Amino acid sequence: MPWAKEEEFISLKRRFEGLEVEEKSTITILHIPKARLLDLLKALKEEKGYKLFLDHSVVDFPDKRPRFQAFYILYNVDEKKRIVVKTWTDGTLPSMEKLWFASKWAERECYDMFGIRYEGHENLVRAFMWETYQHYPLRKDFPLEGYATDYLPSLNETLWGESLQGLMNYDRMHTPVPTLEDLEITEKRRLQKKAQIVLNWGPLHPGTHGTMWFLFDLEGERVFQCDVILGQLHRGVEKLAENEMYNQFLVYTDRMDYLSALCSNQAWVVAVERLLGIEDLVPEKAKYIRTMMAELQRINSHLLWLGTYALDLGALTIFLYAFKEREKLMDIIEGITGARLTISYTRVGGVRMDLPEGALEVIKAFVKRFPKELKEWETILSRNRIWLRRNIGVGVVEKEEVYFYGLTGPVARGSGVPYDLRKFEPYDAYGWVEFDIPIGENGDVYDRYLVRLEEMRQSLQIVEQCVRALEKMSKNAPFFAESPDPKKLKLPLDGIGLKVPEGETYSSGENPRGELGFYIYSTGGVKPYRVKIRPGSMYNLCVYPKLMKDRVIADAVAILASLDPVVGEIDR
Amino acid sequence: MEGLVIWLIVTFVKILVILGIVLGVGAYLTLVERKVAAHIQRRPGPMVVGWHGLLQPLADGLKLLTKEDLFPRYGNRFLYNLALVLALVPATLVFAVIPFGPEFEVFGVKVKPILTDVNIGLLLVFALGSMAVFAIALAGWASNSKYALIGSMRKAGIVISYEVVITFAAMGPLILAGTLSTYHIVQSQIEQGLWYVWLQPIAFVVYMFAMLAETGRVPFDIQEAEAELVTGFTVEYGGMKFGLFPLVEWYIEVLSLSAIAVVLFLGGWSPINIPFLGFVDPLFFLGPLSPFIWFILKVSLLFLFVLWLHWTLPRYRIDQITETAWKVMLPLTLLNILLTAILAPILWR
Repeated sequence: MPWAKEEEFISLKRRFEGLEVEEKSTITILHIPKARLLDLLKALKEEKGYKLFLDHSVVDFPDKRPRFQAFYILYNVDEKKRIVVKTWTDGTLPSMEKLWFASKWAERECYDMFGIRYEGHENLVRAFMWETYQHYPLRKDFPLEGYATDYLPSLNETLWGESLQGLMNYDRMHTPVPTLEDLEITEKRRLQKKAQIVLNWGPLHPGTHGTMWFLFDLEGERVFQCDVILGQLHRGVEKLAENEMYNQFLVYTDRMDYLSALCSNQAWVVAVERLLGIEDLVPEKAKYIRTMMAELQRINSHLLWLGTYALDLGALTIFLYAFKEREKLMDIIEGITGARLTISYTRVGGVRMDLPEGALEVIKAFVKRFPKELKEWETILSRNRIWLRRNIGVGVVEKEEVYFYGLTGPVARGSGVPYDLRKFEPYDAYGWVEFDIPIGENGDVYDRYLVRLEEMRQSLQIVEQCVRALEKMSKNAPFFAESPDPKKLKLPLDGIGLKVPEGETYSSGENPRGELGFYIYSTGGVKPYRVKIRPGSMYNLCVYPKLMKDRVIADAVAILASLDPVVGEIDR
Repeated sequence: MEGLVIWLIVTFVKILVILGIVLGVGAYLTLVERKVAAHIQRRPGPMVVGWHGLLQPLADGLKLLTKEDLFPRYGNRFLYNLALVLALVPATLVFAVIPFGPEFEVFGVKVKPILTDVNIGLLLVFALGSMAVFAIALAGWASNSKYALIGSMRKAGIVISYEVVITFAAMGPLILAGTLSTYHIVQSQIEQGLWYVWLQPIAFVVYMFAMLAETGRVPFDIQEAEAELVTGFTVEYGGMKFGLFPLVEWYIEVLSLSAIAVVLFLGGWSPINIPFLGFVDPLFFLGPLSPFIWFILKVSLLFLFVLWLHWTLPRYRIDQITETAWKVMLPLTLLNILLTAILAPILWR
């Protein structure tokens, strides 16, 4: 496990009073009083090389004083180490927005869900819920079913005893429902000059790839400010996770990043297996099957990205070419798992069922044919002058910005950071197969495009090796782990009665859209106490307003599509 | 008196024929486009309505006509409807000066298959082409929508840039032919035994580019880039009103500009040309029909070329498009005019 070791922090211990290092097999934690938190994180970032911000949130303990335990997860890309910093608070925390922009978004989410106030946060507004919502949903005293009397405020209602006078009253809080009136109010607030347009790009717009809402402040076609409004697809997945059994939560991972369900499934079960410490018990066959399926899913997801990306830039034909191949992949996945989109194929301890007869032959045929198609598309696009002019030099992400904005996945690799968890922290069969990590040089849209194309090729290689390994295995090889001691650890296929001992871990998988991490805090029992999901898409999106500065609307689609967000994962 | 009556009858018949051809063919070109696009994209395209979807345009038209007529709140209804007229009428009027073939005789009456052979034919074409800006700007303005406004401004920017380019590109053949009358340009090409495309390759290429830009075809279809602007200036139009804009832009204008390209560069209704030697007509067995077939063939080839590009290429950005117009194409055409103007009197006449 790639956790930092205790020895490393001896020098820090001398400098920071009250710093305690807790090292477990599943996690390494630095405990620090709140007063020194900012300094410690700064030292970790600048001296120790923990530059990449992964995640931040809090765990709620209603019975304890102080009530909230905050955690920050950081990564050292050069030395491949991860560390969790923890502190206790009763409701306020210092904001880390100067250290990492990504934490700004994490803090907004945490404020929304727990009501933690951040000192020094520039724009502390709710991330997903509406502004007038009185409750904090992820606190333990918030009921699972919510409050039936609280619903989205309507425009015809009176808020806070104030009588509304139609469109004329701009002072009142704007409602979260994007009605015409509401859009106009948002616009009036943002207008600074006369020669300015506020363009509401979304929430339902063909270019946003989901229900995202952007506000572009335009001068002519030039965007000089861009804002993102999230929450249109918020379903409270983390709250649900606390109230479902480990195996039941699997189906929610399908519905987060619905374009790469298998990868999310895999990331979740690997996280639970790591927490249980049964990673080695999972049979080889199951590991190979999971890896193979995840890679097929990755190709599937990248194909959808390629199609919609080309569509956004006006190349309509590539869209249909890509979808034709994607359809074949969907059929393969359907034949093996029985589902096309929300798959839930993996289980804690293996996979749900063995491969059906002939599955490997079909995959082999696909692997043989697909590179030809890929090459054909590349001849249409990669050296096309129009394509180059639309892509090169657009949306440049510098290498340092990758850390500052917490970017992962192909976006980070496009900027030259070789951050790939399949290599850094091999889970399942990734340690046993050979593949390369493509990285870009300039970090522009074109590099991200090339990286994703090359990733498809590498995925094919992995699939090929997995198929070869699976062919050698006997048909009756087990595909599900057997518990060494059924009295202590029950490992049923349906997951009912799976008890996880006390402990916590952060484990992540390399999704097609970046790192999907799960921070699981277990107090024992069949349900987790707290699950924090690190959505790769959300942190990748947070660089968008910066990239959109001084670009035209035509670049908005190119940049957004190259970041490739999925709203199901952003809003959860 | 008798001459006037005959002239009126002939003109009336011509108008009917041209309108019928233009609007009918325009509608059916939607089917052609859908079929071509489908086969480029490895799918069959419309197959349900009629044999291989032959009745599809009628079904589409019926659907569009029976749709509810929506009108955006706070829009300007007069300008909103005026934009439609301004889009359709000038585009169709261009066909008044397009010669479809050589003069022929029916019942002892000499008929030129061109509505009016005015001596400023090409000037009329470009003047009418500039009218398109009004239609688009009005459509965007009257819709009371930002997307429509941005789309129409983009399109207006392109049309203005490329109107200049296309006019200068047409200047080369004009110098060679020495006339603005479309009929006589073709005639002089036939008399000289030479398509002007051989002498004016730069002008031809530039003309084709400008034509794509004017008609909003890929790679210049930014005014309705659906990923960015939904459908640009037509976003607030519904039903047949919505259907009219693509019909005008993508079909009627492409047809008229292709026909002008054929007239200017490809010798109108003349058969295959071998430079300086004369013409070879593999379709000689069709007799007097052959010139008309040649004209239609050339126009359809250009149209298919446009379709091919449309379904292959991605699209440019607005600044790149106008940049190409002013920095590359305009200097090229100016150079072309200069060379033609210097060399033509020396070598040509």
